Amino acid sequence: MKKYITLFHINWQNSLQYRFSLIVYIFGYSLYIGVLLYLWSAIYSEGQSVGNYTLSELTTYYLLQLMINSVIFSYVSWDVIENIKDGYFSNFLIKPIDYYFYWFTVNLSGKILEGLFIIIAVGIISIFFRGHLTFPGTSAALIYFLISVILGIVLSFEMDFCVGMITFWLTQVRTFKFMLQTIILFFAGAMLPLDLFPDFLVRISDFLPFRYLVYFPVSIYLGKINNPWPSFAILIVWILVFYGISRVLLLRGIKRYEAVGI
Amino acid sequence: MKQLAYNIFRKIKRYLHLYRVFLSQNLKEDMIYRSNFITLAVMDIGFVSVSVILFKIIFTHVTSIAGWTFHQSIILIGSVGIIREMAYLTFRRGFLELGNHIRKGTFDTFMVRPIAPNIHLAFRHISISESFGEAITGVVLVIYGILHLNNWTWVSIPLYIIFLLNSLFVYYGFSLLINSIVFWVIKTQELNTIVYFFMETSRYPGDIYRGVGKFIFTFIIPIGIIATVPASVLTGRTSWSSALIALFVGISFLTTGILVWRKSIEHYSSASG
Repeated sequence: MKKYITLFHINWQNSLQYRFSLIVYIFGYSLYIGVLLYLWSAIYSEGQSVGNYTLSELTTYYLLQLMINSVIFSYVSWDVIENIKDGYFSNFLIKPIDYYFYWFTVNLSGKILEGLFIIIAVGIISIFFRGHLTFPGTSAALIYFLISVILGIVLSFEMDFCVGMITFWLTQVRTFKFMLQTIILFFAGAMLPLDLFPDFLVRISDFLPFRYLVYFPVSIYLGKINNPWPSFAILIVWILVFYGISRVLLLRGIKRYEAVGI
Repeated sequence: MKQLAYNIFRKIKRYLHLYRVFLSQNLKEDMIYRSNFITLAVMDIGFVSVSVILFKIIFTHVTSIAGWTFHQSIILIGSVGIIREMAYLTFRRGFLELGNHIRKGTFDTFMVRPIAPNIHLAFRHISISESFGEAITGVVLVIYGILHLNNWTWVSIPLYIIFLLNSLFVYYGFSLLINSIVFWVIKTQELNTIVYFFMETSRYPGDIYRGVGKFIFTFIIPIGIIATVPASVLTGRTSWSSALIALFVGISFLTTGILVWRKSIEHYSSASG
């Protein structure tokens, strides 16, 4: 355990070095969310509305999405891909550290740091939209929301780790990852709340694990889900399933590994 | 006066010639990675489709967005793709490579040639493949959108092209301004993230902005103009005032971009020395 704490600490400092790129990214993404907020304000000011959302709920939805995009979504697979491609992975074969938990720790420390930055950014944007914010009605909703965010971090990491594992089989994995990322964001409800989708897309999203990354936590926050326990159960099953897939891919991948550069 | 006109003519002729030479050279480089070409195109088509689907879903709930109908919005999305490809055919990839050149010191080459560094940087990295899929889907979307308009005339086509060029100037000026920072921070990837979000967010009609937002997204981060004005011209939604503002923004971004770039380039400290 101690070595993972050290790793957490080292990576925290490494990430701090990249704070410029982090700030730029957060600025760009905030701009994107800001534009979407203007879009919805324009639609609602014309007397139109979408689904059963009020403008405040939509504004809150996108601000939470902005936060979730930094806190929940794992992007370590970019490094995992790099790591396997350039042969640096060989080092891990002889180190007394578990590859899966190595990246889990790296991801977690990065996410917590990013979370601190994004909370500041969301706070600043919230000032502009302070008249249009919704807060959870009950403290239970807030607690459920936090649980769903923590579970979301785990699930997102596992899926991302699996994508990284594909590098053992497929060298063109970056292109694949780009496309997968868009599909995940789409079916997670990151671009639009899922209940605004046409029926057949809603049905597809019900069968996919991605909805637990954005739509589910935000819906809990907005008080649209009163009893989250059945969903939590399914989410935990997904987490276990992806843990299994990660392990299998890692075991098989090591056998296929070509150790470039040795 | 006559002499001046002649000189300008000669200069343009020379740059056109250089463009052709660089283009054929870059094409040869592109051809080495032919399979890459197809994957990039497929990816682009995928990304554009997602935007179209999102707009389609929004329009199942509303009839218009700030006065824009579905088919007008489709033209807007298509225009973004066309402007992107125009940028890749001229300057965009040069800025993506700029960081490498500065880190390695190869930017020296651009300083000593008898051609302006920004033009050389742009022409050296012309790319057709990078945004080709988006351009094709863009043209298809624009044509599809036009076919569903009632109040459309042939006259708007040349005007559309003029305003696309104007938007290219805005885009170029903006890229120059942002990338001028590179001579201090040497971090182009981050800087071009800003430029990326700049184009991503220009997909939404400029008419949605109100108050301070209207001012910021017209004059400072002109995402409310770049695709909106050409698309407005084509769909017959534009007013004289917004067209004039767009031209003003185009000229001022291009000139300040070039001036700031020239000033910043003095900060270049060669790494290879």
